[in-house]
Amino acid sequence: MLSQPYLDKRLSERAAYFPISGEHLYTVLHEVQNPVARVLLVGSLAAERHYSYHPWVRWARYLAARQIEVLRYDYRGVGESTGRFEEMTFADWADDVNALASWLATRSPQVPLVLHGLEIGGILAGRSFDGGIGDALLLWSPPATANHGLRSSLLLWAGLEQLWESSENRRPASEYIRLVEQGFPIEVYGYQWTSQLWRESFSLALPNDLNDLATTRHRPIKLAKLGKETSPLVKPHVTYDEVKDLSFLYAEHFAWLSEVLALPVDGAA
Amino acid sequence: MIDSIEKRELLLLDGLGVIVPATYHKARRGDSRSQTHSDESGRVGVIFLNSLSPTKAATGDSAVYWADSIAQIGYPAFRLDLPGFGDSYDDPPARLLEYINRGSYASVASAKAREIVERFSLSGVIFVGLCAGAVTAIYSAASTQECKGLLLLDPYFHLPLKSRSKLWQKLTGRISRTDLGIEFEKLYDRLTEALRRLAGDAPPSNANFPLLSCWRDVATTGLPTILFRAPGIRHRGEFDYLKHVLKLAGRKGDVVVKTIEEANHTFSNRAGRDAVRQQVESWLTSHFPRDGEWGKVDRVSPSSTDDSQIYQLKSRSASVDTRTVPATRSAMEGG
Repeated sequence: MLSQPYLDKRLSERAAYFPISGEHLYTVLHEVQNPVARVLLVGSLAAERHYSYHPWVRWARYLAARQIEVLRYDYRGVGESTGRFEEMTFADWADDVNALASWLATRSPQVPLVLHGLEIGGILAGRSFDGGIGDALLLWSPPATANHGLRSSLLLWAGLEQLWESSENRRPASEYIRLVEQGFPIEVYGYQWTSQLWRESFSLALPNDLNDLATTRHRPIKLAKLGKETSPLVKPHVTYDEVKDLSFLYAEHFAWLSEVLALPVDGAA
Repeated sequence: MIDSIEKRELLLLDGLGVIVPATYHKARRGDSRSQTHSDESGRVGVIFLNSLSPTKAATGDSAVYWADSIAQIGYPAFRLDLPGFGDSYDDPPARLLEYINRGSYASVASAKAREIVERFSLSGVIFVGLCAGAVTAIYSAASTQECKGLLLLDPYFHLPLKSRSKLWQKLTGRISRTDLGIEFEKLYDRLTEALRRLAGDAPPSNANFPLLSCWRDVATTGLPTILFRAPGIRHRGEFDYLKHVLKLAGRKGDVVVKTIEEANHTFSNRAGRDAVRQQVESWLTSHFPRDGEWGKVDRVSPSSTDDSQIYQLKSRSASVDTRTVPATRSAMEGG
């Protein structure tokens, strides 16, 4: 028999598909009764989604346990969502953020909506926030540009490739960069990066005026550069079969949310 | 928000005290090309078990790709997040690899397989597992009467060696870089090989004997099995587990071995995933024929991007392979 608390917690997480432009986004809503805020988690892209999955899910549960409703999802063409990764663009993934944020906001407009982005997801969340979506913005380790994010993934992956692959599969990162810049698709962690994606990544960055939004329009923003102690949530991530206690990180950022949003929350549920 | 779309459905398998989230890939029927049906009665289902990769999508979403393609040719496919993985509510066991190597996931996997068989009125299931997932698949097959086949990707049959002291590693590391050290290693390899021959090809002390025993029980029943190997890195003097498990399967064994050239360990690169898909489709249709209404089907279209300039696809049958996959590598790569 399942214990009631286990059952209650499990059943309050609803996995569902969200239709968008002929594809379906895989979403998980961490539903709470009478939420004091809502958070849209804009996770890291492709291979990083894979590595950061456990700590990202735990963060969602941490917030839900404190009466904050959370929606997390997979980008189009990634994970459980439908679509082909190689056919997607950053514009598609930006549309995903906007569409889900709008849906989440309409569930109860009276409570604040927070956009929370991780790595490249931070850039996408920041740009949506700049476009007027959300009441607060939390960013964990956003790269300077999406290209910086892709490049660091490639470096890490190519390093692993050198270590574990047969000699015929070995190529340095510089060789992959040369290929993709010449217009050839390359494969990184099983995802096919097109040269178009690579080109677009150079111009995708956080908006310059984010600080102005925080000071003049009273829309709070926190940008945190996470250290290696938070791996595998952020790079460098090599293994992901260990359970890391990141409660120090969760507590710190929950405290920030509570403060800036003046949440009527008295700690852990 | 919906939990069912044309080709997939999200499930919560909640029987027998454990909730397991799953993605169900609906089998396409031969008599209606553009549509999928949830009536899977009498079909054989294909169940994907977790490797060390954190989610049921697996590295590079390769499991999603294979499940889609298998469903497209008429076999319902199910990808599970066993407790501790992906969206399951549980934390992973503290020593995950050890837990898997003991076969501790078999009871849940087996119970969920029975739940799926009952829910969809299937005639049976095939377990699929990569690396550590293959270990779970073998143990699960042994305890699941409804199991009709096994699909194993780069399985391993050994346990991690106990790590030596740092001083010893430092000492042997330095010696092995000298000419004398290299000669000593060659001599050591020859001695090891000679001792192994004397012992009648007995597995080394760090073999996973319960798993090998389980494999023998399963394989000697003639359970159809397809086993994929990736070339990977070579280790001098390692025990030839593949040769050993084929021997254990005996005359009654129905084991097909395929080595996919240019595949990485997770088979998630284009060469690996495409070759696995082709071989699995062929193996499934020959061992588990579909009903008469199926007819000819289109294959899942390959990637729209032409990658032939970068990767070449080669596959060949192999009956003997001299490589093993160390557990450390599995942990690194998500096997």
